[in-house]
Amino acid sequence: MDFYFGLAQLIGVHTLLGLSAYIVLLTGQVSLAQAGFFAVGAYTAGMLTVLAGWHLVPALGVSAVTGAAVACAVGFPALRVKGLMLVIATLAFGEGVRLFFFNFDYQIAKGEIKVGPLGGEGFRQIRFFPENGWETGEVMLFIWVFVVAAMALLWWFDRSRYGTVLRAVGEDELAAQSVGVNLTAVKVSAMTVGGAIAGVGGGLYAHYTTHIEHASFNILVATFAIAYPIVGGLRSVFGTLLAVIFVQGFLVEGLRFLGDWRNLLFGALIVLAMNLRPSGILGRRHA
Amino acid sequence: MLDFLQAVSDGVLFGATYALIGIGFTLVFGVMHKINMAYAAASVGGAYAGLLVLTVMSGAPPWLVFLGAFAAGGLLGWMVYVTCFHFIPLSSPLATLMSTVGMLLLIDEVIVHVTAGMPQSYPAMFDDVMLRAGEFSMRGDLLLVFAVSVLAMIALLLLLYRTSLGLATRAVSQQPVAAQLCGIRLVRVNALTFVITGLLGGLAGALIGASVGTLSPLLTTPLTVKGLIVTVIGGLGSIPGAILAGLLVGGFENVLQLYRGVTERDLYVMLLLFAFLTFRPGGLFAPKSGRD
Repeated sequence: MDFYFGLAQLIGVHTLLGLSAYIVLLTGQVSLAQAGFFAVGAYTAGMLTVLAGWHLVPALGVSAVTGAAVACAVGFPALRVKGLMLVIATLAFGEGVRLFFFNFDYQIAKGEIKVGPLGGEGFRQIRFFPENGWETGEVMLFIWVFVVAAMALLWWFDRSRYGTVLRAVGEDELAAQSVGVNLTAVKVSAMTVGGAIAGVGGGLYAHYTTHIEHASFNILVATFAIAYPIVGGLRSVFGTLLAVIFVQGFLVEGLRFLGDWRNLLFGALIVLAMNLRPSGILGRRHA
Repeated sequence: MLDFLQAVSDGVLFGATYALIGIGFTLVFGVMHKINMAYAAASVGGAYAGLLVLTVMSGAPPWLVFLGAFAAGGLLGWMVYVTCFHFIPLSSPLATLMSTVGMLLLIDEVIVHVTAGMPQSYPAMFDDVMLRAGEFSMRGDLLLVFAVSVLAMIALLLLLYRTSLGLATRAVSQQPVAAQLCGIRLVRVNALTFVITGLLGGLAGALIGASVGTLSPLLTTPLTVKGLIVTVIGGLGSIPGAILAGLLVGGFENVLQLYRGVTERDLYVMLLLFAFLTFRPGGLFAPKSGRD
């Protein structure tokens, strides 16, 4: 049973990652920086619980705020450039964050051992869950509380005036601007919300794996983040969830019996899926 | 001071390969207004395919391996076009972005699968030659990399500005609809652009393999990032910009490697990019019309 709980934890965290890219994609912007916000959240929450001895819930709150602040700060200069330039700018930012943590040392002695992030070796011993005696099932439920909350928030956004504005900017910036929509405010706010969600996701990720390092936040993670909403389609948040289950549940776990060949199939299936359904699994039929 | 000059010269010579990769990104962007994320991976893939020459004919001279990589790069470029661009409607930019990312992962995995993840040593030419002027020296293999890159760029510019195919390519990049009305076959020009950039990429991959000494799938990520940075700094769609930016990034990163070490080096390259995005978002040679 623990295996399925573990899988559900993974799916939950990746759903948060996907949702953080989903809201940015609604405004028509492709951000490869989500892995960077994810990393910021992971290191923030990890340092607060391990080094400062906080409880996880306030630490996640700080992660969300930090992720949002960083996203907002990146959003202003990066959103001056449009479309494909933004893809590159955010990709470079994500790599920059990864390289920052690759060079980041901050260790303090805690009893016998030294704990804290240590450059290329990463940040070990994020043991909040085992120290407080949480079972795998409880951790899973804890993660899913956040996933459901984020999905509900975005679902509600989609049905509100704000969601309409986001989609208007995504469909046609010029038309949106001509009816008085403030493009910068809309894009930066979407980026900020995405940063907060990614920050929480990162904080949860750091605690259930107990060990993070710079390589856990590479381009592949950033690609996964945008792949979920694109593969699932941007019509609703459930597309993202479905895509995460498809990718992590089916492609990664379900095809494990294929061994080495699984990784080969993974890239090929993404290419195939995009050829067959350019607007995503749950997307509109026309392209 | 001498260390500094040495770092700049080595970096600029190696930067020629970044320039080649940047040209590949920028050319596809200019013609199709799309980014081919699989480009650097296909280039490394082409370089690997060049090694097949050695398995067929052991003891083949390095230039034959380079030629093999050149041809294989072109073939891979065409394959990327067919699988990631041809069947996906132009109105779905996200789909092509995603399909090329899928292709990047696929090429990476094929390389890992075939080579069992082991880095492969790559043949080099003139690696025992060293030009010296007092304390200052220039590595022969890096000079070769630079010379071949420059020749490839000249050939590309001649192709673009002196042939009818080049005229058609430039026409498509400026006004696709008008070009089509003049009887230019869009699909053919697009496919040929991918073949041409693929040829350049295969060559760049082989040159990188030769100057580093080994090829490993770990090269694809940094090359993708550097290539894209070069493209942005040079100005999206500008070939002279990509060349200049490639040399600039090569020199810049090598100087910072000298002063700050190899782990921090790339961090400063990202900062350089952000400086450009903030103060000169269009890059060195921004195209006048702001099309996206």
